[in-house]
Amino acid sequence: MSLSQALSAASAGLRATQAGMSIVAGNVANADTPGYVRKTPIQVVAAAGEGGISVRLAGINRELDQYLQRQLQTESSGASYAGLRAEFYTRLQAVYGVPGSSTALTSIFDKFTESLSSLATSPDSAAARTAVLGSAQVLAQQLNTMSSTIQGLRNDAELGLADATARANAAMKRIAEINWKLGASGANDATTATLLDERDRKISELSQIMDIKTVSTGNNQITVFTNSGIQLVGLEAAQLRFDAQTTIGATAQWNAEPSKRGVGTLTLTTSGGADIDLIANKSIRSGEMAAYLEMRDTTLVEAQAQLDEIAATLARALSDTTTAGAPVSVGAQDGFDVDIGGLVAGNQVTIDYLDTLTNTRRTISLVRVDDPAALPLDSAQSSTSRTIGIDFSGGMASVVNQLNAALGNTGLSFANPAGQTLRVLDDGSFNRISLSSVTATTTESGFAGGSVQLPFFTDGNDLYTGAITSGGHQRVGLAGRLSVNSDLIADPSRLVMYDAGTLAGDATRPAFILERLTQSSLDYSPQSGIGSPATPYSGSLSSFMRQVVSIQGDAAASAQSLSEGQALVLNSMQQRFDEKAAVNIDVEMATLLNLQNAYAANARVMTTVRDMIDILLRM
Amino acid sequence: MSINSVGANTRLAVQSLVDMRRQFGDLQRQLGTGQKSETYAGLGLGRGVSVGLRSQLSAISAFSDTITNVGMRIDLQQSALGRIAKLSDEIKGAALKSTTMTNEEGIFVQKGATNALGEIVGLLNTRAGERYLFSGRATDQPAVANVNAILDGVAGQDGLRQVIDERRLADLGSDGRGRLVVSTPAATTVALAEDAAGSPYGFKISGISSNTAAIIVSGPSGSPAGVTIDVAANPTPGSEVEIALTLPDGTVETVKLTATASQTPGPGEFTIGATAADTAASLQAALGSSLGALADTALTAASAMAAGNDFFASDPPLRVDGPPFETATAAVADTAGRTVKWYTGEDSSDPARASATARIDNSVTISYGARADEDALRRTLQNVAVLAAVSFSADDPNATTRSVALNSRAGAALGASSASGSIASIQAELAGAQTSIAAAKERHQQTGSMVSEMLAGIEGVTTEETAVKLLALQTRLQASLQTTSMLYQINLVNML
Repeated sequence: MSLSQALSAASAGLRATQAGMSIVAGNVANADTPGYVRKTPIQVVAAAGEGGISVRLAGINRELDQYLQRQLQTESSGASYAGLRAEFYTRLQAVYGVPGSSTALTSIFDKFTESLSSLATSPDSAAARTAVLGSAQVLAQQLNTMSSTIQGLRNDAELGLADATARANAAMKRIAEINWKLGASGANDATTATLLDERDRKISELSQIMDIKTVSTGNNQITVFTNSGIQLVGLEAAQLRFDAQTTIGATAQWNAEPSKRGVGTLTLTTSGGADIDLIANKSIRSGEMAAYLEMRDTTLVEAQAQLDEIAATLARALSDTTTAGAPVSVGAQDGFDVDIGGLVAGNQVTIDYLDTLTNTRRTISLVRVDDPAALPLDSAQSSTSRTIGIDFSGGMASVVNQLNAALGNTGLSFANPAGQTLRVLDDGSFNRISLSSVTATTTESGFAGGSVQLPFFTDGNDLYTGAITSGGHQRVGLAGRLSVNSDLIADPSRLVMYDAGTLAGDATRPAFILERLTQSSLDYSPQSGIGSPATPYSGSLSSFMRQVVSIQGDAAASAQSLSEGQALVLNSMQQRFDEKAAVNIDVEMATLLNLQNAYAANARVMTTVRDMIDILLRM
Repeated sequence: MSINSVGANTRLAVQSLVDMRRQFGDLQRQLGTGQKSETYAGLGLGRGVSVGLRSQLSAISAFSDTITNVGMRIDLQQSALGRIAKLSDEIKGAALKSTTMTNEEGIFVQKGATNALGEIVGLLNTRAGERYLFSGRATDQPAVANVNAILDGVAGQDGLRQVIDERRLADLGSDGRGRLVVSTPAATTVALAEDAAGSPYGFKISGISSNTAAIIVSGPSGSPAGVTIDVAANPTPGSEVEIALTLPDGTVETVKLTATASQTPGPGEFTIGATAADTAASLQAALGSSLGALADTALTAASAMAAGNDFFASDPPLRVDGPPFETATAAVADTAGRTVKWYTGEDSSDPARASATARIDNSVTISYGARADEDALRRTLQNVAVLAAVSFSADDPNATTRSVALNSRAGAALGASSASGSIASIQAELAGAQTSIAAAKERHQQTGSMVSEMLAGIEGVTTEETAVKLLALQTRLQASLQTTSMLYQINLVNML
């Protein structure tokens, strides 16, 4: 019966060839389908009766390198993180303007100082006065615009996070569904291969959103974890939640405490029902989400802080008067008397002293705080500088008590000899400390009180004093609210008239403004990311702007080059992966020729068998 | 790189094509704008320097604006000052020349002074744009009042002419003898005394001398100061008595009385009479008329000069405590504003130059302020104004002498050098500022072009370099595109 065996083997061969053909056809048809992995038939020898051999299609093989695939997932997290970051940095760069163009912040500031210099030359010129106010308004508006652009970028990041959350949830849900289906079927057929393709695609989608780890658990099952080890998907998917805020201002920042949080946070509800705050846990380290979070909570906040510092310095430099305390001695104790009657919320008394035991210079800043919710306030900026909030509502006696209670252990003692005078004394004969200076800083609120200082820039319609409230420091978001004092716009002569009898050609005040903004060395808060608490950056306003532009430009350039590097790595890895997994039309065509030949050969076998049977029947 | 992917889905090839395309676009933009980058990120390490250089360039432009502005102001000041100095010299020349002049020449000097006064007032009110240059810090107010107001006053406020007039009355006294009283305490004694002690007005007796033993003079002594002339015996003809009188402007005039035998003594002569008492009586009469003549000429001129001082040099102006003015014995400061204030600019005691300063370089500040009440300018204006204020009548017999007395005084005062500076010294100080400006200007030009070059090096691109890069890139891009296209054409599908 070997002839019929040959016939059935040939027909099995035809079937196998047809199956091969359909796989080739599928491969060619899906040559450009994303995530499609090239399929090859698994043909096995089948025994057909005694001495007979046939062929059988055992399954469909997916041509891929799983080790490479896992690496590709990691790299695609990194690449999408770096790419998105670079994109945000590029958009942030636009905030600082085209170098040298009239819209760049530094050019606008230069224009402002030019107009001031012209006012110092012609204080009596109404045109020069108006020009100063005009260019000051442009500067304030530029800072407003820059600030709102930055907040707009933060808003985009917030929306991006919401979108990424939705996509991640969809992907995780689908992965869980596929895990179920694969667990149920267990077969190695075309359906399985297609599902595996789809699951790989979803995993790679998820890995672009966040950094994940996958573990294969056999039986075609795969479990997805975050890199910090929290399970995202098994047979069931965890649920990500993001409470996106619709509008984000400079004061809206992330905080672990929900009541203080102005922006959304990312919560993971595990399949077991537990809630995990992924931001507080620092679980997101790469992928789109990490880039969004970094932008929203760090990079853009810092960029805003730099603008706020510029705005605050513009206001402070022109309105603050620092008065040195008068030296005084009581017995063996030396110290200073300083008038604190003019202090408003945010104004400071700064005490500089030498700690003779360790030979260290220390600075204590006493800040007037009017909001009881912001008290007590005692924070150390560095090992040598400390800020203490003082409540002035209880009168001088209460101020002295608060100070002695807070600082008695330093050796300093405080008293109120008369009126609004605060007396600061060292420890006398103990000689552990030696006072260097005590100064009071006050904010000028009027224009014609005889002092050259003036409230040129205001926080909206309010005076900028640097007040600290439960909502934070007044500086936060100031760049978005900075404006030229409306009283000044109503009467530009106030740029010159610092006293009732000031003459029109008196350049004292214009020269002061010009000097403060171009020559004076000013101190900048380290919160802007420039300078450190121990050695704050100090320099002219234009040198600070130069620092800001430099640092931002540098960060953007390195973000760009990181992104390009990551893209290169990802592309070459993808190519290596594709060499095996992607459909190569040449290979498919060659296979097609082979299959054609095989089909013809099998058909020939059948014809031959038929001929032989014919011969047998004719006998 | 080894070739292992021919015919495969060559991502890297595509990526590099896209990159080249992007570079091509960027180079095209560079060629168009001449700028290396549109963001600070793209400027490379020079970005910080670029911002610094830009602000330096802007500072230079601000300094240059200041220099142009201030330079123009100082030029205007210099030309005004030069013209004032020239006018002062002209008036001085005319006034001093006319020591022996006719009435017409005298009138010519007054006329010239009136014209010059108008011009000087105009020059002191010179403006650069909206700015008065001789008002100190009060740059929005004219430096001096107009000529009519200075000379004739405005409603409710008196001008220089009125002040001169009142002072003349006070200096001359009601009898026209310069507030001196002539009396005869004894038959042979003539006494001459000031009418009041400490009065600023009229003649002040500063000395007396006699060249004969026959006439014994004594004094000045007592309060009010007085002298006595005792004719002890009849002097010989030609004997002289000289009385030195100090005038309100500080000049000293001498009344010389000469003894003569003639019964009709000329001016300044007295007749030797039969007795000493007769001689004394003649001497008294001669003294009276000599004083009257001197008062009408030199004293009137000196009074006008002093009134000029009261009006111009005192703040507030000094006025005669009257009416009646003839008997007034004190000057009062006019705090009630009865007098025109000729200077309307900034009233300050700090140096005039410091009233306007300009920063023309990071560490160079120049001072170029000026005030019309600076001594040199005030003196010029004052003396020219006094010359212009006094008028002479053609039928007055003493007019010529008085005019000469005034002209010589004003002429001398115009030329007098003073410790508090001259117009030339103001010009020299401003010239110093101009020198600094010229130096700073040159410095700014050099620094400016240097900074611009450096900036171009950081921010800009050279056309040649960009063009070469573009060409090279074009070749590469074309080659890549061609090979890629060939690669995709060589496909088994096309061969079957």
